[in-house]
Amino acid sequence: MNIKSLVEADNIAYKINGNKLFHNISFSVKKGEALHISGPNGSGKSTLIRIILGITKQIKGSIYHSKSIDISYLGHKNALKNYLSVSDNLMLQGLSNDNELNNLLVLLGLKKFLDVTVANLSYGQQKKLALLRIFLNKSNLIVLDEPFVGLDSDAQDIVEKFLINEINLGKALVYTSHIKSNIDSKILNLK
Amino acid sequence: MRSWLGPILLFILIMVSYPLTIEFLEQDLEKGFYSLLWISILLSMMFSTEDIFLEDYNDGSLEQIIISSTSFPFMVAKKILIYWLMIGIPISILSFLFSLGITQNLSISLFLFPMALISSYIFLNLFVFGTALSLNKGSVLGALITMPLALPVLIVLGKSIIAIQFGINYLEFLLLLLGCLSIIITVVPFIVSYVIKTHLE
Repeated sequence: MNIKSLVEADNIAYKINGNKLFHNISFSVKKGEALHISGPNGSGKSTLIRIILGITKQIKGSIYHSKSIDISYLGHKNALKNYLSVSDNLMLQGLSNDNELNNLLVLLGLKKFLDVTVANLSYGQQKKLALLRIFLNKSNLIVLDEPFVGLDSDAQDIVEKFLINEINLGKALVYTSHIKSNIDSKILNLK
Repeated sequence: MRSWLGPILLFILIMVSYPLTIEFLEQDLEKGFYSLLWISILLSMMFSTEDIFLEDYNDGSLEQIIISSTSFPFMVAKKILIYWLMIGIPISILSFLFSLGITQNLSISLFLFPMALISSYIFLNLFVFGTALSLNKGSVLGALITMPLALPVLIVLGKSIIAIQFGINYLEFLLLLLGCLSIIITVVPFIVSYVIKTHLE
């Protein structure tokens, strides 16, 4: 494994019910790099993300993680408690009530919804709330599965700018997206 | 709130129903009470673990825990401990109070209290294992798988009451349960975390 890489995949393959989802996939993600996993529906983008995270095991090949790796992840499920308020969810996620959080809440338009239960927020607002965890992370690898789905163009801009800034700060990004973005990324196309 | 209060209310309901639905004279109530008490603890613990992981599984929190640097078996053990503190201990205290109220026998009720504490923790661990096995497949399957494991504990609990009544070997039964508990609380979190990871795959 290249010592600069945070994640490196070597000829990995995955099958579902005996059908090949993808095979011979190799890539590496170094600090300050972004990897955009693209492909049509059902091509295995989310599965590949889960393999990178170590949740799902590939059937062939190897995946290496740097010893210093610390991952923050947002997938299709946003890990929010629907019956709790926005502020309770923030507390549960260990996000402290500091200036940085307050600024982000204002920026994303969530400040006035602090006492509203998550179940009463729209899908886009829930997504923004879940993204706060990513915004305030201290990890060196950000993994996102369709981060722009459900966001309006303003929010998408904010997320994009944040991610570009994080990459410039030396963090790595792996993401899937069907929505065009301005993030300068290596592209891994699953067919 | 539902998963906390539900099992405790179920336990109270069974305990209150017992003297109301049986035709024994007051002095005979003790006869079937202890068996019912252990079964009530067993059912309450089964009920309490019904959706212990389901919510976290559905909203993606389990994935977040697994990819975080925190030890997953440790998180499982912590979750079981919190359930025991919130549900097991109140039920054990209620067991003592109902035992005292129904049998009016202080010494047996005092002996019964540590047994209730230990057995509730054992049952909780066993049913958490069952719930993990049947995660997203309904809790009945898990309960069916776990029930045979709980039967030996019920037998020991039944024998321990006889031992208390005859004034023999009580401590040995308590130590036997403690031994079972120490093995179970060490092993179950690892098995459960492995089973949940397999589900998430």
